[in-house]
Amino acid sequence: MTQPAAGVAEPPPSVISAAGVTKSWGTNVVFSDLTADIPHGVTGLLGSNGSGKTTLLGMLLGLHSPNSGGLTVLGEDPAQAGGDLRQRIGYSPEHHNLPPDIAAQDLVRHVAMIHGLPKREATTRSSDALWLVGLGEERARPVGTMSTGQRQRVKLALAIAHDPALILLDEPTDGLDPVQRDGMLELIRRIGTEFGIDILLSSHLLEEVERIADNVVILNNGRVIASRRIDELRTGKGGMIAVIDDSVDAVVASMERRGLVVRAERARLRIGGDQPVEQMADAVRDAIAENDATLRRLMPVQQTLEDLFLDEVYGE
Amino acid sequence: MSMQTDAEIFDRGYRRYDGERSGISTAMRSVWLNSMQRALGLRRKFRFKIVPILTILLAYIPALAFLGIAVLLPSELVGETVDYAGYYGLISISTLLLTAFVGPELLSTDRRTGMFGIYMASPLTRSHYLVAKATALATVLFLVTLVPLLFLLLGYTFVGLGPEGFANTMALLGRIIAGGLILSVFMTLLGMAAATLTNRQAFASAGIVMTIIASSVLANVLFEVAEVRDAVLLADLGNLPNDAIQRLFKTSEIIDVPGWQSIGALAGVLAVLATIVIWGYQRMEVTK
Repeated sequence: MTQPAAGVAEPPPSVISAAGVTKSWGTNVVFSDLTADIPHGVTGLLGSNGSGKTTLLGMLLGLHSPNSGGLTVLGEDPAQAGGDLRQRIGYSPEHHNLPPDIAAQDLVRHVAMIHGLPKREATTRSSDALWLVGLGEERARPVGTMSTGQRQRVKLALAIAHDPALILLDEPTDGLDPVQRDGMLELIRRIGTEFGIDILLSSHLLEEVERIADNVVILNNGRVIASRRIDELRTGKGGMIAVIDDSVDAVVASMERRGLVVRAERARLRIGGDQPVEQMADAVRDAIAENDATLRRLMPVQQTLEDLFLDEVYGE
Repeated sequence: MSMQTDAEIFDRGYRRYDGERSGISTAMRSVWLNSMQRALGLRRKFRFKIVPILTILLAYIPALAFLGIAVLLPSELVGETVDYAGYYGLISISTLLLTAFVGPELLSTDRRTGMFGIYMASPLTRSHYLVAKATALATVLFLVTLVPLLFLLLGYTFVGLGPEGFANTMALLGRIIAGGLILSVFMTLLGMAAATLTNRQAFASAGIVMTIIASSVLANVLFEVAEVRDAVLLADLGNLPNDAIQRLFKTSEIIDVPGWQSIGALAGVLAVLATIVIWGYQRMEVTK
């Protein structure tokens, strides 16, 4: 079900690729040098409010052209491909406003039709999409009578009904309570993994991106300051923690001679550095052996997205 | 023995769509149809149907009355009442009300409810969107600017009071279509221009009505009190399209100026209104 149909061309290696993109609104520089390759899967687009996330989504849809630089989405230049590209993209806007007096299914069907689906197919798929997001029983209800959580689900149905290759979700959990948020995140993860639709999820909530995304892109001051796979965060850049019984000062000195950065909190050593985690472990072992110290515990520190964000944004 | 089934489908799954996708013209047709449904209150609660139904019915009352008279009175008396060009004056109120109701409904509401952003994230461009919306508004206006006159022509023809000969019938039909077109295009652009300037439907509706009334009052005050030349009456936006229509039907013009001035003024106003719409939508933000 999630495999590409026979005869469909091989997808490009990156879903989205930006190289040196600049964008200004008048004198306000939004992007000074946006460079990133976003691979397939679910990608979280992180950045504080006003960092240009929504502007970037607009550029990916071909609604704004970059002032300079190259941008491709699904292998095409959005400014050139325009409508042909947007036909393959699903978009869920940040706002919760939707036409209040239209039934959810009528709205979803209409949007599916303007994305090129024949009426019969649009009718079936709009119903299926609403069932999928948990609004099957509510599909005939006017959108205006729905809660914020339900409207967020209608927006998700709007984005997926026409079977896009890429979905752009702008703050899809905004306004949801914790239970609704969990449900929405689970649904987004499912769409990204089971259905094979690539997702770019704009958010300012680190925790939700960490929960469901395969990749993360962090925007700050008009630049991409980090772009990597989430699972890379868990493979050592956070350093190690060692607990030793004695000779703390000598061990610290030995470690520092080996290029490690050590912060001692009594017998607990927080060890960092640029080395890969395997080399770091070897250096720690050698420093402890050199001083005949007793090692009680040695463990890698898993870096969280919050650590990464703070490191990259504030250099902490 | 009856079998009881408790089976339910909880997950209808997700299917990929590998079929053909239609082009931009189908997308525009979908917006056109959807907009007309919305304008006429179709698939919406009854309260949304009241204004369009009443204003459209208002435009048919004179036609029904004329046809009733034609059926009941001797033909030599009825002949005096056949005045197609004059019919445009009778439908001016319903045309104005329908424009004031439908124009903002089709444009302002889309912006207020975020639908404009959703349309712009689809294959449609701003131009496609505006053309589809303008066509929808003009089509709805045809229900008061064109169909009643066609109904009248058909009715008169059936009772033997229609134009004599095929050529005359076609000529009158052409004038009726052109007249409906002139009035619909004018009111469409007026409605769209007002709706471009505000997201508030009520403000846009009031703006449309006030523009017509204020321009009429201003032009007539200047003409009567200040004794400015007749050309000042071209600023009366309520009469400007009607004057062109009267000239089309070769009846006496409303504004006593040469034809080129009247047509030029109409074209100029249409250009200004179109510029407001295009300019407004070009600079409108979708995402920023």
